[in-house]
Amino acid sequence: MSSPLKDVLESLIFISQEPLTVDRMAAVLEGTPGEEIQAALDELIQGYATAGRGIQIVHTGGGYIFSTHPDHDRSVRKLLQIERKNKLSSASLESLSAIAYHQPVTQAEISAIRGVDSTYTLKTLLDKKLIKIVGRKKAPGNPLVYRTSERFLQYFGLNSLDELPSEDEIGKILQEEKSSEG
Amino acid sequence: MPENVSDPIPAEEAAVAPAPSETADGYQVRLGIFEGPLDLLLFLIRKKKIDIHDIPIAAITRDYLGYLDRKEQINLDREAEFLFIAALLIYIKSQMLLPRETDLAEQDDPRRVLINRLLEFQKIKAACSILRDKEEDQLLQWKRNFLPPLPGESELDFTEVSLFDLAESFFLLMKRRAAADTRVIRGRDVSTEEKMKELVGLLRDGQVLDFLAYFATQESLEEALVSFFCLLELIKSRQAVAVQDELFQTIRVWLRKDARRAGHHE
Repeated sequence: MSSPLKDVLESLIFISQEPLTVDRMAAVLEGTPGEEIQAALDELIQGYATAGRGIQIVHTGGGYIFSTHPDHDRSVRKLLQIERKNKLSSASLESLSAIAYHQPVTQAEISAIRGVDSTYTLKTLLDKKLIKIVGRKKAPGNPLVYRTSERFLQYFGLNSLDELPSEDEIGKILQEEKSSEG
Repeated sequence: MPENVSDPIPAEEAAVAPAPSETADGYQVRLGIFEGPLDLLLFLIRKKKIDIHDIPIAAITRDYLGYLDRKEQINLDREAEFLFIAALLIYIKSQMLLPRETDLAEQDDPRRVLINRLLEFQKIKAACSILRDKEEDQLLQWKRNFLPPLPGESELDFTEVSLFDLAESFFLLMKRRAAADTRVIRGRDVSTEEKMKELVGLLRDGQVLDFLAYFATQESLEEALVSFFCLLELIKSRQAVAVQDELFQTIRVWLRKDARRAGHHE
């Protein structure tokens, strides 16, 4: 049984190139309460998950978007003629993680956390739009202040900064590293 | 300290090290390197199973300097930063050696600053490994917004070149000319105006000019210089496009469509 609400949501998400938020959906479907939309969404997502489809709806970057199923990565890459996936360099990832946990933060502060100059890395992260400049700090030299961007959340499949690895998760990793050496 | 420096690389470093590859020099394995001084310090602390809150500064400093001397496993671009931390370690040790009348409270421990930095860095590194997993998951799921335009067979991936690329190709050319050992007794005078006409003429009918090949045909340094300036002028006035397929390859030049049309109307 298909509900009209579910169908229209499917169309809206299909046509969106960026994750579509529930707020945006509610604005389009005037008068439909958010809870109803959320319920229909959950049903829709479940439908895709159980039917074993080649595409799925994922909750990322605070919204919903269609993506291909991870199992078909190889074929998709072949179609797109992408040989290798470009992962972030370890320097980029390190800087990004330092920014994520310390934002808003300046270049000097990031460099201090990492113990290495991060000017160039920040530039590449800016180019990739994973971070953004949000202003200048009222400090000597008025340095630029950086934050992670919306795209950062999407890139890692997060919906908000609250979903960053927690103290507990980090503690677990550290514990594992310690025991693996013992 | 040979027993310290001959140890295998740490597991996490090994994980990022590229697979061994055959090269002209035989079988080589590239070892992982320490990107930053804190990486190295954390590795040494873990290897010796030291409590991060109670670091024996002298021993760690000795190991640390041992690595710096060998230079093989550190990123040499970052040598200054490695040395900075070495200086910090020595400074901390000197502070600890100073005689004091009363015992130090914990927060006055000269090591405090370093410990805090290491703890924070360790946290960031752990978060990185979690984020790396998430990245890998995400990279398997293609979304429509990430689709690049499908490159067709005939289409090349152009990168428009900067002034510096042009200049570099120019100097490369000049060097080749110098090596060719030609001698010009007295070159004819070349005016920018003439050269410009010649260049535009060459490019007019949708012709694509091979930058290096063109300069190779120039008779003298003077003439080559003039053509180079003309080319820059054409690009500046947005009449011509210069494109390089890949770094260090030749640069190809052609007129922009509107410039070509304007040329025809003259």
